[in-house]
Amino acid sequence: MFPGVDGFHWTFAHVIFLAIFFAVGMTIVATTVLAIWRAHRDVKTRRVEQLRWHAEFEDLPPAERTCRHELAGRVEHRTCPHAFACGTCPEYSKYAALPTDAPEYAFGMDYPPNRLYHRGHSWVREDEDGLVTVGLDDLASRLVGKPDAVVLPEKGQWLEANGTGWRLRKNGCEMRVMAPIAGEVVETGSPAEGWYLKLRVPPEMRQWRHLLRGGEVPGWLMRELERLQLQLSPEGSAPSLADGGMLVDGLMDQMPKADWDNVMGGTFLQS
Amino acid sequence: MKTQKPRRYGMVIDLDRCTGCGACMTACAAENNVAPGHAKATPRTGLTPMLVQRVSNGGAGADRREVFIPVTCMHCEHETPCVTVCPQQAVELDKATGIVNQMPQRCLGCRYCMTACAYHARYFNWWDPEWPVGMERTLNPGVAVRMRGVVEKCNFCHGRLHEAEDKAAAAGKAEIDPADYRPACVEACATQAIVFGDLNDPASDVRKASRHEDSFRLLARLGTEPKVYYRSKQEWVRGLAERGQQEVRRG
Amino acid sequence: MASSTLIDRRFIARGVERTGTARFAMWLAPWVLLLGVGLYAAYLCLYYGLNQTNMDNRFAFGLWIFLDLSIIALGAGAFFTGFLVYLIKMKELKAVLNSAVVLGFICYSGAMLVLAIDVGQPARAWFTFWHPNTHSMLTEVTFCISCYLVVLSLEYIPMLLKNRKLRQAPSFLAFEHQLHMLVPVLAAVGTLLSFFHQGSLGGLYGVLRGRPFAFREGFSIWPSTFFLFILSAIAVGPSFLALTTRLVEKVTGKALIPDSVYQRLGLISGLLLAFYVAAKSIDTLVWLNVTSPAVGFAPWEHYSYGQFGIWLMAAEIGLFGLVPAGLLLWPKTRASRGWLMTAAALACCGVLLNRFILTVQTLALPTLAFDEFMTYTPNWQEVATFGLVVAYGVILYSLSYRYLPLFPQEKELAGEVIEEGTHVSGR
Repeated sequence: MFPGVDGFHWTFAHVIFLAIFFAVGMTIVATTVLAIWRAHRDVKTRRVEQLRWHAEFEDLPPAERTCRHELAGRVEHRTCPHAFACGTCPEYSKYAALPTDAPEYAFGMDYPPNRLYHRGHSWVREDEDGLVTVGLDDLASRLVGKPDAVVLPEKGQWLEANGTGWRLRKNGCEMRVMAPIAGEVVETGSPAEGWYLKLRVPPEMRQWRHLLRGGEVPGWLMRELERLQLQLSPEGSAPSLADGGMLVDGLMDQMPKADWDNVMGGTFLQS
Repeated sequence: MKTQKPRRYGMVIDLDRCTGCGACMTACAAENNVAPGHAKATPRTGLTPMLVQRVSNGGAGADRREVFIPVTCMHCEHETPCVTVCPQQAVELDKATGIVNQMPQRCLGCRYCMTACAYHARYFNWWDPEWPVGMERTLNPGVAVRMRGVVEKCNFCHGRLHEAEDKAAAAGKAEIDPADYRPACVEACATQAIVFGDLNDPASDVRKASRHEDSFRLLARLGTEPKVYYRSKQEWVRGLAERGQQEVRRG
Repeated sequence: MASSTLIDRRFIARGVERTGTARFAMWLAPWVLLLGVGLYAAYLCLYYGLNQTNMDNRFAFGLWIFLDLSIIALGAGAFFTGFLVYLIKMKELKAVLNSAVVLGFICYSGAMLVLAIDVGQPARAWFTFWHPNTHSMLTEVTFCISCYLVVLSLEYIPMLLKNRKLRQAPSFLAFEHQLHMLVPVLAAVGTLLSFFHQGSLGGLYGVLRGRPFAFREGFSIWPSTFFLFILSAIAVGPSFLALTTRLVEKVTGKALIPDSVYQRLGLISGLLLAFYVAAKSIDTLVWLNVTSPAVGFAPWEHYSYGQFGIWLMAAEIGLFGLVPAGLLLWPKTRASRGWLMTAAALACCGVLLNRFILTVQTLALPTLAFDEFMTYTPNWQEVATFGLVVAYGVILYSLSYRYLPLFPQEKELAGEVIEEGTHVSGR
């Protein structure tokens, strides 16, 4: 096989054979090494958070990828192709200019208009002190009720938009709440305080275009409630979420037998 | 090392002389340290680098004719099937002697060579070799024993060739004395049915015998140029050379 | 389905339905038993040697070589689907690509496993790499299969890392992503390797000058069987994929791929099979009239022994070649699920029969004028080792199906119940 090994001769067959074999071997090794090196780089540069979000987005069912303009009734039907990155969406302005046609009723839930909402059920509020407060929205709060455990990021930690914000545990169900925006953690709250994080966001990064607001919110909530109804109703004992019905607080406790793993995965946009 | 003209060792087996006594098989086994057959071995799993087969013409009564055919490795010369198929060069055709050598120490035991051989002259070591206590003293020190899981076959008693070469070298001669190198089967044959020697040597008996009009080779049409010849004056025996020439039966 | 019965819920992707853990364990149990018996048989063969089998000096190759050739042919769907998706850009087949890779990985690793037991001295397997005989088809096979198994592993790893639990680790997620980006390179390498070793497996027998039943002339160093094997493998690969996917759908009671993919697989299989049948017929005619008589073997003599009659050739080319090709090419029968699967099954049986004829009939037939026709029956150790590979395949596939995203369209098709019957919960 190798020159120097007993019985080796440089024949035409050997040259051809070894050339092909080594070319194939080198290609395989190079591919593996390249993948490992790039993966290492991604982990180091925290690009992995973005990769995770894109991978998760790919796996979302089409119903959970509905474009915000459809939520607002500006367009009949549109599925987001850009992982909810409205800030870079080339067609955003075209649709945004269309007239809105959506319900204005937030189904009896608390969605203050001075907040912006992330599709992963967190909200964002710009405070007067220049910090940005982040919390869990009313729908998710009502589902979870009082969480068994909360794992918050350390003060000073940098969060990536669509990366991991904080984690919740309830009745054995592990939940990862996505950070709605990028920023440095300055202070951490708790479910009782109604907010979870205060972030310091550099001025150049204060771009909230990807967050839902105004007329988009009820349309989104309507679809989310429909999804919940679909996923929870086979249990039989489910309270009706039909129009006018109110989402009770602490539904996870109320319906312990439901497939919460699936339901909360859909709520927080992950597999 | 001395240089010697390339030789082409081969044999001619006179089937009219063969009595089927089996001395060649016994001599072969003794010379090459073939262990006694394992208790569970069958004729299909034994080790018989030299195998005498009994063949009849299929006739009955006075029409019946029988012949004994010793079959061994034919040391094919052209595109030697076992040499070309071995994945790791454990079989080679020695250009200096024309002998097809098996290197058991390099053999993987894949048995591809066995499927390649038209003469079924290759054997697999299905068991580890074992000798009854005391019999190990009869082993031939000039030949290595083979382990379980490798293929072996006739190599024209290669150990004897080495001995002859050593003897010639010690005497300062470049060429071995043909009388010094005769495989065990040739030596053992009581009727001297087997002639062995260098087919390249115009003066050798084997060359003359191989060119006799009564001589033939088995399956020569395959084109592998075997170097073991047979001869017989009986036409039906010569007809055994190729398939389909006449109805034959194993005895 | 109550989530409490899914102890392994955290390992199963969200939004897909899988049967309860206990039921899944019960499904695996018989296969694990078969695996255990097979492992014991393999141990016997490795520890005591090949005398534990019914092979002999004449049947130096037996059931196992038939198994190797067969599963490698059936596993051809892996490289061929990768080739169609990444190099021909047939995006539709992405629906079965992951499943094809798992099947390929199972087939090739299974074949390697059996080869390791089949050789007399497994510890010397590396000799082939150290002292390769570049003229031997087996060398080419060894090199290509080893390399291709590495390629298949690299294609399988991203899928493995897509498991819900494993992808939680950032480094796994990043590696999966980056490796997946490079998969077209692997698909190209896999195609090259597969092309050669599928061919060389055919060449393995085609070069046997000493076995006129198998010996074929060809182009350059490659006998015609080299090309016929490639053709038959890629013809049957898509059929095998359709068949296994359908089987999984039946067992799990779920639609996994759209009907259009079945149609596409059937059409590809049908076209290639028709081409193969034509090539195989020409090859057989040339062999019967020229190659075999030239070395002194009467054309029909090969078919005059025992059960190996001319019907075998007729069945191979007609019933298992021409018939499925016709069924797959005629739009009406292809559109029918039942006919499509019948044709796919016939095509797969055809390739098995072809490999059987080449491995077993070749050795059974006499060569010398005074040779006997011989038969051989594999013993339990050989059959159990065969079972080992089957059990290993079923177990690995079941685990992969349960925990990995084998069928990307499963969620979309989740509403569709495959039969008019009740919606059975899947495993």
